Amino acid sequence: MSTINKTDTPAKTVIETAGMDAHYGERQVLHDINLSVGEGEIMVIMGGSGSGKSTLLKHLLGLQRPSAGSIELLGQDICGLSRKQMLALRRNMGVAFQGGALLSSMTVGDNVKLPLRENTKLDENTISIMARLKLELMNLAGFEDLMPSELSGGMLKRAGLARAVIMDPKVLFFDEPSAGLDPVTSVELDELILQLRAALNMTMVIVTHELESAFKIADRITVLFDGKIAAIGTVEEIKQSSDERIQNLIKRKPRDKSVDADAYLQRLTAGGRK
Amino acid sequence: MPESSAVSDKNTPIGIAVLPARLGRFVIDWISGVGRANVFLVMCLSRLFFMPFPFREFIKQINFVGVRTLLVLLIAGLFTGMVVALQFYDTLVRFGSVDLLGSAVALSLIRELGPVMAALMVIARVGSATCAEIGIMRNEQQFDALECMAIDVYRYLMLPRLLAAIIALPMLTALFDLVGIGGGYVVGVLIHGESAGAYVNGLIDTVTLNDVMMGVIKSLVFGVIIMWTALYKGFNVHLNQKLSGAEGVSHATTSAVVLSAIVMLSFDFIIGSLML
Amino acid sequence: MDIIKSSFKHYERLHLNGEIDLHNSSVLRETLLSILNAEQHVLVDFSELQYIDSSGIAALVESFNVAKKQSLEFKILGACGSPLQVLELTRLVSVFPMVDSETCL
Repeated sequence: MSTINKTDTPAKTVIETAGMDAHYGERQVLHDINLSVGEGEIMVIMGGSGSGKSTLLKHLLGLQRPSAGSIELLGQDICGLSRKQMLALRRNMGVAFQGGALLSSMTVGDNVKLPLRENTKLDENTISIMARLKLELMNLAGFEDLMPSELSGGMLKRAGLARAVIMDPKVLFFDEPSAGLDPVTSVELDELILQLRAALNMTMVIVTHELESAFKIADRITVLFDGKIAAIGTVEEIKQSSDERIQNLIKRKPRDKSVDADAYLQRLTAGGRK
Repeated sequence: MPESSAVSDKNTPIGIAVLPARLGRFVIDWISGVGRANVFLVMCLSRLFFMPFPFREFIKQINFVGVRTLLVLLIAGLFTGMVVALQFYDTLVRFGSVDLLGSAVALSLIRELGPVMAALMVIARVGSATCAEIGIMRNEQQFDALECMAIDVYRYLMLPRLLAAIIALPMLTALFDLVGIGGGYVVGVLIHGESAGAYVNGLIDTVTLNDVMMGVIKSLVFGVIIMWTALYKGFNVHLNQKLSGAEGVSHATTSAVVLSAIVMLSFDFIIGSLML
Repeated sequence: MDIIKSSFKHYERLHLNGEIDLHNSSVLRETLLSILNAEQHVLVDFSELQYIDSSGIAALVESFNVAKKQSLEFKILGACGSPLQVLELTRLVSVFPMVDSETCL
């Protein structure tokens, strides 16, 4: 388990949401979300399907606007920024999407180099070495010239991660890093995440449902249920939570499936022909 | 609670209010869809002078829209010209006006068939493929990724495709017309043995600048319509809540093809009536 | 970030003060390449370097490669803290000749 860097001065807050709500049309999907992530912290966001964690991530990334409340990234309220300011802020953010989200029309190498080519004025030699450094880090050395369609799911994820960290962002967002990875690669990825944080003091927000990974790498965990925060705390605090839903989540208890015989029979046979 | 209320507790229309409510919803959705589509077009075109210009993608798209459609287009042009000549010949011969064959073929192609057929070829090849490509990109979160990399999707991806269509379609139409007129020559002069001079002079005498302009304007407008529809439908494939994934893309693609064909034909009529 | 050039024995010594990131790594790159162009050996002093990102590392890798081809010496002195962790993470500690202090030279 990792420990937060304890110094005399309190760590800077890198991400902060206050009273955040989110709606899809009429339906409210997030209620009064208040969370903060400190510099160099690894925050894991967990919750069952439909709990709103993907929606929360989209809002933190600035891809969707909250219907109420505020979101601050690196000290700036992202809802009030102009396009130019948002662009500048995005240079300090890296996002690793589920499935990699590489552009299918260019090679893996070009994909990883894309943020550098579009957002910096570095020369090609430097860009090339930087891309290869990151690919080596992800064990993708030599895959530079392949197209995304030639890569396996796990490799695509790692390539997406290489692209996400190519500019050494201050904040890294991860959408389901372990989904679809074999156990060995999954463990290697966890190690890599911890090393990145240690070497570059990267703040990380990871949305996942993999408990083992979460408990191994998280500094703090936010648990969401039905769009509301059920708990925020360290791994130990979450493990000892008195909230039944959280305990069920941890013990992976299936939901209560007790049967009301009449209702069950009705559901099975409704609309049948005589 | 008033019994005659047409709306129940939760604002759901019941009884007599259902049909008007559904119609109203349909109209509202349609209008907001049209509005969104127009905003999309403006967003794309407004990037025309943003730096850096996406030159590479632009050239790639011109190759895709123009060069790769060329072969199938020229074949279609040849046969279209030949068929038009065949049909006209039969009629003109009865009236003893076979000399008009050249101008008849040329005018039909330049004013009508060239722009429309070229547009249909492009819809079939380019419109469908582009819509599907953009739709899949949307499904794989590639647009989210681009936005998070601070890359302007409209400048980087959409504008090059739009410009490529605007530039390629008039050229494709012109080539279609040329080959079609040649096909008409083959039928009229080579097969039926009519006068080559009459064919060529006929067409030189009757085709005016207005006719050519009509063809050019039509192809420019069609280019915008085709690419705009394909891009818009693909880009918003995620807004269809009933269909997702591959089904959503397939639905968006067919919808884009049908819609661009219909809109194209209506503009064909509008431009024709304005200019004739 | 300051780059202070001085001479130390047969090396041209580059004293790196502060942080190297996307904004100034090109300066580092040009400085290194011009030193190597002048056929001089390079000693990069990391002792006051607080932070270096991938673009800075890339500049070092490129120049080291050039030095190798020209049979010039290229050493890193006094790497510590975050820069050292970055070098370890990227496994470049096994590539660059690393020296702890001046006395080793």
